[in-house]
Amino acid sequence: MRQIALYGKGGIGKSTTAANLSAAFAERGLKVLQIGCDPKHDSTRMLMHGANIPTVLDLVRERGVEPITPHEVVFLGFQDVRCVEAGGPEPGVGCAGRGIIATFQLLEKLEALEGDVVVYDVLGDVVCGGFAMPMREGYAEEVYLVTSGELMSLYAANNICKAIARLARHGRSKCRLGGVICNSANTHPREQELVEEFARRIGSALMGFIPRDRMVQLAELHKQTVFEYAPTSKQAQIYRTLAVSILENGSLTIPIPLETDQLETLALAYI
Amino acid sequence: MEGCTILGALSVTTGVKDALSIVHGPNGCAHHNFSLLHATLATDTDSRFPHIVSTHLSEDDIIFGGEEALERAIREGLERDVGGIFILNTCIVDTIGDDTAAVCRKSWRVPVIYLPTAGFLGGGFSRGMLNALQTLAIHAKPREKVPRAVSLIGEKNLEYEVEENYTEISRLLESLGLHVYLRFVRDITIADLTEISRSGLNILREPELMPLGDLLRQRYGTPFVDRFPRGFIGTLTFLQDVARTLGIPCEDAVAYEMEHQTRVLAKFQDLEGIAVHLGRDTSNSFLREMVDLLGMFERNDGIHLPIPIPEPVGTGGVERLFHHWRRTICASL
Ligand SMILES: Nc1ncnc2c1ncn2[C@@H]1O[C@H](COP(=O)(O)OP(=O)(O)O)[C@@H](O)[C@H]1O
Ligand SMILES: [Mg+2]
Repeated sequence: MRQIALYGKGGIGKSTTAANLSAAFAERGLKVLQIGCDPKHDSTRMLMHGANIPTVLDLVRERGVEPITPHEVVFLGFQDVRCVEAGGPEPGVGCAGRGIIATFQLLEKLEALEGDVVVYDVLGDVVCGGFAMPMREGYAEEVYLVTSGELMSLYAANNICKAIARLARHGRSKCRLGGVICNSANTHPREQELVEEFARRIGSALMGFIPRDRMVQLAELHKQTVFEYAPTSKQAQIYRTLAVSILENGSLTIPIPLETDQLETLALAYI
Repeated sequence: MEGCTILGALSVTTGVKDALSIVHGPNGCAHHNFSLLHATLATDTDSRFPHIVSTHLSEDDIIFGGEEALERAIREGLERDVGGIFILNTCIVDTIGDDTAAVCRKSWRVPVIYLPTAGFLGGGFSRGMLNALQTLAIHAKPREKVPRAVSLIGEKNLEYEVEENYTEISRLLESLGLHVYLRFVRDITIADLTEISRSGLNILREPELMPLGDLLRQRYGTPFVDRFPRGFIGTLTFLQDVARTLGIPCEDAVAYEMEHQTRVLAKFQDLEGIAVHLGRDTSNSFLREMVDLLGMFERNDGIHLPIPIPEPVGTGGVERLFHHWRRTICASL
């Protein structure tokens, strides 16, 4: 079983990328489970044709101590990708991080964490221990950073490197950095070069460059992944290629996070 | 090492007879403190259960926020016959940011008072106690003073001899023509809390409570004496301090107390000339005074005397200490 986590700044395109990657994996005949670990709970929406599936934490909240069965939290989406949303508390109360931990424990108990590939789609900044849960022992062993050339998204990606490096210091952690995915924001002409150089500097590599494409929005308006909406499009082909790179990726590293000023100097150099 | 802030606060809030203390957190935080308080108070004259309940937080409440559980506990508390409710935060609810103060501000039938008590925010038992006393002290309005009324501030509800100390202070105050008006906070009601502004003098249990003494002076114009009396000389100074602060004479009271102290000493003539040892901390001037008064002397191979914690209050406290020492000495002769 391959367990893959996508981390990156909010709004950078993690869920879009995750859903299309899941679809690409499924197209290759793999059994895929995608787990949205963002309280925003929209990770699997396109795979579910626009439906907001009940989140694990919604169920926990309604049920209390009554048992929950796997089919109440795992939903079959496009190409039989199994979809789970962790969910979270109402904004502004409680502890979303603890919610992620509780979700994982429940999924373990339900023996729902199975398949050929598990894709964790995680919230942008690792704001507390709970959001590092997918990187813990027994879960994702490879993390992919989703970023654009925009400084703030590189900054968030760099922070996640810090979390991975920290975890790696505990001898038992198997979580490593798989690579960097550039989801273009069309920030500037040399965006790809910048992200490529960033990846190199943190001791990793660029796994793929996803152009900003209207097709993504069109698919979204039809409540579909690009894969379903336009399976033969250029954009779908890009996700296919990325999926293959990830499946074939044998290079997992412990990242070397940059200092803030190094990061700024780097960004300046490519403006 | 010191106990948790929450226990310090509970030692105060459970001193309000008609109030309920709600510990906002998992069961154990409440139960642990309940047991401790109950065990300590049970050795006292009455063995009432401290009025403490928990909001019984579970993992779900931590994820989704514990404010609902808190409201539920308050509603259940109101079904009992309570004059007021205190809410004490545990570490976890402060970590997840429950807005306890806002829940308390809702319009409830009785006063619902929030106390910030999360242990991880620093401080220990004494800070919890001081914070709680300060929170409870600000619910009064300045009012006219009751003549000759004196309040005791911050009696240590968990210490041995708390009642004996109270009796002793009352006796000393009466010798000056004064009386204890309010024990802040021990064995009083929610309504009594507002009487704090009416005493003409406050006596703090110990100088550590000075910030509270200052607060009461600023808010209600009440002067304070910063500690309970300690040792024979300390007891005489105490009478003088109280009298000076209130501008009343004290010669008769002091003269009487000196005679009383002489009579007490006379009862322990048998201890004269005995070699004793006070352990490591012989710098304690109070203990020195006591050993000298009894005509005992210190020697390294002398009889090891127990050192009282906390130190005895007033002449009466010293007399009990002397009895204790005599028992120790008799046992080792
Ligand atoms: N490559 C792309 N081209 C065009 N739009 C994109 C692309 N990737 C993401 N988007 C759009 O950006 C928005 C945010 O993406 P989303 O995947 O929800 O981000 P995240 O999950 O990181 O918060 C969505 O409206 C999505 O359609
Ligand atoms: Mg998302």
